[in-house]
Amino acid sequence: MGKVQLQIEGISFSYGAESILDQVSFTVPTGQLLGIIGPNGSGKSTLLRTISRTLKPHLGKVLLESRDITSLSSQEIARQMAVVPQENRYDFPFTVEEIVLMGRTPHLGRFQREGPRDRRIVEQALQITNCAHLAQKPVTQLSGGERQRVTIARALAQEPRILLLDEPMAHLDINHQTEILNIVRQLNKDFRLTVIMVLHDLNLASEYCDHLLLLKKGKIYRLGPPEELITSENIAAVYGSRVLIRRHPLHGRPQITVLSQNTVPAQGGKGIRVHVVGGGGMAAALMGELVYAGYQVTAGVLNICDSDWEQAKILGIPIVEAPPFSPLTEEDHRRNLHLIAQAQRVILAPIPFGEGNIKNLQALQAAAARGQQVIVIDRIPMEKRDYTGGKALEEYRRLLALGVIKVKEEEEIFRLLEGEESTQ
Amino acid sequence: MASGKKGLNRPAIILVLLILLLISVILAMGMGAVPIPAVETIHILGEMLPFVGRLLTPGPVPIAPSHHTIVTQLRLPRVLLAVLVGSSLAVSGATFQGLFKNPMADPYIIGVSAGAALGGTMALALSLRFYFFGIGAVPFFAFFGAVFAMILVYNLARVGERVPVMSLLLAGIAVGSVLQALVSLVTYFSESELQKIVFWLMGSLSGRGWDYFYLALPYAIVSMFIVWIFARDLNVFLLGEEPAQLLGIEVEKTKKYLLWAASMLTAVAVATSGLIGFVGLVVPHVVRLLFGPDHRVLLPAAALSGAIFLVWVDTLARILLPPLEIPVGLLTALVGGPFFLYLLRKRNHTLY
Repeated sequence: MGKVQLQIEGISFSYGAESILDQVSFTVPTGQLLGIIGPNGSGKSTLLRTISRTLKPHLGKVLLESRDITSLSSQEIARQMAVVPQENRYDFPFTVEEIVLMGRTPHLGRFQREGPRDRRIVEQALQITNCAHLAQKPVTQLSGGERQRVTIARALAQEPRILLLDEPMAHLDINHQTEILNIVRQLNKDFRLTVIMVLHDLNLASEYCDHLLLLKKGKIYRLGPPEELITSENIAAVYGSRVLIRRHPLHGRPQITVLSQNTVPAQGGKGIRVHVVGGGGMAAALMGELVYAGYQVTAGVLNICDSDWEQAKILGIPIVEAPPFSPLTEEDHRRNLHLIAQAQRVILAPIPFGEGNIKNLQALQAAAARGQQVIVIDRIPMEKRDYTGGKALEEYRRLLALGVIKVKEEEEIFRLLEGEESTQ
Repeated sequence: MASGKKGLNRPAIILVLLILLLISVILAMGMGAVPIPAVETIHILGEMLPFVGRLLTPGPVPIAPSHHTIVTQLRLPRVLLAVLVGSSLAVSGATFQGLFKNPMADPYIIGVSAGAALGGTMALALSLRFYFFGIGAVPFFAFFGAVFAMILVYNLARVGERVPVMSLLLAGIAVGSVLQALVSLVTYFSESELQKIVFWLMGSLSGRGWDYFYLALPYAIVSMFIVWIFARDLNVFLLGEEPAQLLGIEVEKTKKYLLWAASMLTAVAVATSGLIGFVGLVVPHVVRLLFGPDHRVLLPAAALSGAIFLVWVDTLARILLPPLEIPVGLLTALVGGPFFLYLLRKRNHTLY
């Protein structure tokens, strides 16, 4: 990273008695792609607007290449810093080219006309932002994504060394969001343009930014690379929500899945407790649907890192877990039996059986023998998912003999559960 | 900057409008109760111009002395005042529309006209008859009424160093309503001068001599020049004040200059000719429809178009119902309204 380009020193800002920013200090080296994240009302946009001198902080200062920005003219600032606001309204039918040419304003004298160099810069800016084909179109006729790209082109025409973006994709669909961010990243990498952007989407922030600044109630909570900053502890502390952190399969940056437990509408179910015997992803959808329908769901025994295990974690339901790729121990079995004993219904998902998890079938036999209602999904014949050389099949037949309900599809389970509900 | 509409370039537009204006002025001077051929008016004009004049008038043309007097003392000052007032109103309207980012803005939006109306009405109601450097009481009072309203609105709208557009608009409407009520009050209690007041408020260029023209000229030229200097800034203003600031424009300072210049143009127009509506609202619109929103084209084109429009409408006001004159303020709306609607219908994809 290059030398310090922007220095924010003890910025405080408030609207009346309400403090928005409180003693915020950090530095931005040349060429950094910094993302500012934080919950609504944490001061992200206000911070960006004090950096661009749109708002004057009550305390502290912003140094641009070690010069206090309050000592610079608007023109001097505009030659160094360009801002892409959240939303752009274009009410008058200028052509795209004319709008982007306005980006040259800080470089032109009062009576100076735009010259060939200015036009060349504009043309380049249009190309970088994939707007060249729009040059002669009136801005009033653009779509949201096109409008945002044109605004970025206008910012580039300023030939800035720092680009500030305030939630540049706030109203765009996912395609346009990544298009905008790819352009921004390309500018950052190819031209070593310093970028500071406020982002709402934590996963996109984690994917695209080198560095993140996490704000909490106007203060810096953490500043660092996404790998260090996007942790479930930090997110819980700042946003107050439970999340699961996983590495993105392609770029490896931490990605967030919000655990929906606290947001799931608990309707129906009438407090019926259902235990699911799953594994290998065969029970993931079912567990989700049951939780969503309002049943109290437990599961076991699931191997850690198995996709059913992940789903159970996301759902936040009680489970019996075992280490990856290890056979179930007596202890696991005992705990599974304990959970099963508390359930009104026990469901067996069409999971494959190996030496490791064959004990699950025995647990089910115990339940059936005790008179608990066991529902078995046999969409896939046991012969095809028995990897024990017939032992699992044998245990399975024994289970069936104890009197269980066999269903072909998951939907039938809901009909069964609901039917009982109404007769209860 | 390329024009918003393809195939039109800026110097050509301005040149064509300039020629149209010249032709309009010459033809308008020939029309009236006493028709005067264009050859004669050109010759008389030529005599008045110091150097180029000889080129315009190669041979001697016999001119009746009465024609000479009619042209130089009656029609020429009136036509030139129409040029000045028409262009002032159009430029003022274009500026306010740009500043407020609102195509509904017009020169009267911030109450300047109401101030002028009150000043003029009071002068008429009190039957003040004095001359100040050749200027009568009515334009004198009207001008200072306008300036008074400007100062009032500006200071009411000011929040510290800033003059937010929204508070300017609100203060303008509030002050305008109060002043308008006072105008009605004064009118109500001045039975003897009622007809004069009503006629003046309708707006007219009738009987205006050179003194009016010379009163208006310096203010109009200086104000138009100031607005012209900020033409590109006005373009950037259309992006919004915050984006304009971020593009390096000192927004508050620029806004102040533009506000005062546009208000001064309104004051000059109202003081010399009363309340002529429509020109300041619609001429900038029409010009924008035709040539695009770039103020570097819009401002000069609006100035020339406003001038052409008012010259012709004032000529109609003189010749339609001789020997009566129709107040030009009525005719501007009567003639301009349908034309504007026609343009809107033709290009209904955008209103501004």
